[in-house]
Amino acid sequence: MGIDIGKFLKNPEFEILITTYRDIFQVEALERDRFGEDYKKLSAVITMSKNDMQKMGFKSGDRVKLSNNYGSVVVEVKESKKNEPGGLAFMINSPWSNILISGETDGKGIPEFKHITAKISLSKEEITPVTEITFHK
Amino acid sequence: MFTCTGCALLCDDIEAIVENNRIKETRNTCRRGSARMKGAMFRLVPSIDQKPADFESSIKKAAEILRNSTSPMLFGLDNSTCEAQVKGIQLAKKINAIMDDTSSFCQGLLIEKILQKKLRTCSLDDIRNKADVLVYWGSDAQDSQPRHLSRFSYFPRGESRQRGYEEDRLAIAIDVRESNTAKICKGHFYRIPLKGDREFILALMEALSGKAPAYDTKNMLGLASILKKAEFGAIFVGIGLTYSIKNDFEILTELADMLPKFNIMPMVGHYNMRGFNEALFKETGFVNRVKFEGKAVHENKYAIIEALKNKSIDALVVVGSDPVLSLPRSVIAHLPSIPVVCIDPCQTFTSKIAAVNIPCAASGVESAGSAVRMDGKVIGLKKIIENNYLTDEDILKRLMEAV
Repeated sequence: MGIDIGKFLKNPEFEILITTYRDIFQVEALERDRFGEDYKKLSAVITMSKNDMQKMGFKSGDRVKLSNNYGSVVVEVKESKKNEPGGLAFMINSPWSNILISGETDGKGIPEFKHITAKISLSKEEITPVTEITFHK
Repeated sequence: MFTCTGCALLCDDIEAIVENNRIKETRNTCRRGSARMKGAMFRLVPSIDQKPADFESSIKKAAEILRNSTSPMLFGLDNSTCEAQVKGIQLAKKINAIMDDTSSFCQGLLIEKILQKKLRTCSLDDIRNKADVLVYWGSDAQDSQPRHLSRFSYFPRGESRQRGYEEDRLAIAIDVRESNTAKICKGHFYRIPLKGDREFILALMEALSGKAPAYDTKNMLGLASILKKAEFGAIFVGIGLTYSIKNDFEILTELADMLPKFNIMPMVGHYNMRGFNEALFKETGFVNRVKFEGKAVHENKYAIIEALKNKSIDALVVVGSDPVLSLPRSVIAHLPSIPVVCIDPCQTFTSKIAAVNIPCAASGVESAGSAVRMDGKVIGLKKIIENNYLTDEDILKRLMEAV
């Protein structure tokens, strides 16, 4: 995970595997107001196991930058309330996860919406506004 | 009683309390259904180039865009009535458009197999009345189709299952995470690694044929034993499974062949995605990714993802969908450079970049019609509120007349 090198950097970067899922509260917020704060608050989040959070030195509420070849996004990190074994992080499907999705499909039309690899590091930047992701002003 | 358009369960036991011509309260809905029926906060208004316009001018401008296009695409219609879908297909045929919908990057692979009768399926009513073993695979129904377990699968009493979940039914979850559905399947949650479904299926098939699989032997033999004893089983296939085995989808057919007592149920999100797939299948023999050019041609390059990546379309009509929200950003980069016509009841991320916006009635609330439930049953939608919004069917008809 690049921990040894990371120790010498201000904000160490870690490799992370992310999958996406659906959440009833987030989809409710989407139906009501997809431009609103509730939808952003529920969407712009990455959830990780307690073990992974400890390993990477994150605490719930920290902001993290996720980046890969397709884009980068700043979201809030939260510790999973479930007994997750670690090694896999979770994002609710939304524009904030879609920024990290590869367009590569082998010509078959289905992107890897549920399989994202990215680098993660603590960030002082604000949560990425949705307008930066979706082109609208 | 009204029908909810929150998801493809199309719950038809909904009560609505109307005040000042808006739905103030709903009963029997889940959170998603309630929010959907009450309507989004921001209504779409007619516009051209993001400036307010009158309705007629918007229709004229949309028709002009389509007339000037050499390679238009009509996308969406999964949140439209069956009647609007038929009209959409007619429009696509008239203008030789490419036609695709969300199923193209969702459950299309699975629904196609079901419509081709390559996978055994049944109705949700059969499941309520008969099913004793329920497998949620890559599907978190509790969050995506929240009344699935309570109306049809695990909790209700059925003709042959009078004691419901307490004694008569067993629910299993196979997933990469402990979802809210997996929590209910206590003691029968099989956690698999990301993209581990194929390996899991292969091991399960070994166990079903009496061999000891190398992968998780004890659990796999236990699961095979439960499945073999089932009198009437159902596998609820979520997009978690569909995405994971998308390059080797036949493996699901092979597994289904080894489980003759089981039926496959596609877990569909958008309320009438299956309706779209059925309508296009009836017309062309394909569920999505079609180009009309005298006859219907089906190719992967007509998938919205490929068409946007290849920049092979020069105009896009979106009906009741929000591709700017749902597609990877790397794919939607082409969208702002082509004229988009957005037909929707509410403002969306796509409407914010559209050249033309045309508001329509919210189906199932402001207009009536029919829709196809995830199991293929046709369900009626009623009108709850009277107002002057045209239906998307009417708008598509007007567009057809104007192009």
